[in-house]
This record gives sequence, C-alpha cells and structure tokens, in this order.
Amino acid sequence: MELAIGIILGCCALGAGCAMIAGIGPGIGEGNAVAAACEAIGRQPESKGDVTSTMLMGCAVAETTGLYALVIAILLIFVAPRMLVNILLEAVGK
Amino acid sequence: MREWFSKIDPTVKKESLYIASITGILSLLLQAGFLIARHWDYTVLLGNLLGGVTAAGNFFLMGITVQKAVAREQKPAADLMKFSQTMRLLMQLAVAVLGFALPCFNGYAVIIPLFFPRIAIMIRPFLDKKRQ
Repeated sequence: MELAIGIILGCCALGAGCAMIAGIGPGIGEGNAVAAACEAIGRQPESKGDVTSTMLMGCAVAETTGLYALVIAILLIFVAPRMLVNILLEAVGK
Repeated sequence: MREWFSKIDPTVKKESLYIASITGILSLLLQAGFLIARHWDYTVLLGNLLGGVTAAGNFFLMGITVQKAVAREQKPAADLMKFSQTMRLLMQLAVAVLGFALPCFNGYAVIIPLFFPRIAIMIRPFLDKKRQ
C-alpha cells in the first residue's frame, strides 16, 4: 500500500515538473516579439504607442500558455494526490 | 513616487487600467458565482483579492518591462523580457502555492483571477466595436 501511495505521489510530482517545462516557451516567444518590436520602433519611431499597445496584448496572450502549465502543476501537487490516494483506498477497501 | 509614476508610458497606464477594471468586474462576478453556488466564505474573498491583485500587477509589471525593453537594442531587449517573464511566472507560482497552502485562502479563488487579463483581452474587440 505504501509503495502504491509513494508511486502516486512521485508521479504527481514528476508530472508537475514536466508541466512546468511549458513555462519556458512564453519567455522565448515574448523575447522574440519584443526584439521584433524594437526593430519596428527603430524603423518607425512615430508608431511607438501602437506597437507597445499591440505588444502588451500579445505578450499577455502568450503568457497564458505558461499559466495553463502552472495551474496543471499546482493541481497535480495539491489536488490530485489526495484524490488519487482516496480512489486507491476506496478500491482496496472494496 | 509621483515622479516615478509620471515616467510610465501612457499606453502602459491605459492598458493596465483597462485590465485592472475588467479584472475587478470579473472578480465581482466570481464572488457572485460562489454566492450562488453557496460556497462563499471569507477565504473566497481573500483568495480573489490575492489572485486579482496578482493578475493586474503581473500585467502592469509586464508593461513596465516592455516599456524598458523597447528602449534597448534587440538582443538585450529579448533577454530582459525572458528574465522578466520567468520572474513573473515564479511570482504567480508562489501566489498559487500560497493560495493552496494557507487555510485563509480558497485555492480556486486565487487561481481563477489569474486568467482574467486573458478574458479582458478576448472581449476587447467587442468593446472597441461598441465604442465605434
């Protein structure tokens, strides 16, 4: 029983760690977007306001993918272990 | 403080205000949802406050970073943005962990408001159309 619970907890922690790999993507994407925006503003300085506004919205959208990963990781750490252990205990009880 | 605030780009201020106001409205709706579902208690309110402030603050910090980044060269700008994104993601992770670990916060009420800026951006075209 302890081994099964240990495997469940370990897999949840491993899954949470794997989910957080997705947090790398938005950073790279935002970095590329900002670099392109710098180039655009360099070419047309008068469009700075429009570019900044569009960039902000784009970056916020890109960040959401990182947030999804974060939520999955949090649920895997705080919610899933208790639920899965309860399911296991119920199955063994039956 | 006032001097620092005056240095912030008007676009960043405007967009942050829009995101903060929509986050506030959606937070009220979230409270109403919890009330209707009869799951409301003070932990929901505190969790919502923590999540909402984090979401709006995260957008504001991103705006400040973008403002700083566009004044630099391409490579340093990209590096600054990557660093900022990592730090802000860690900040949100810490807030989410606090929300689930401390009994005075409802974990779900902390996490749900983190998505409100995304919803605010999603509904923006409709609001702009109405204004026009």
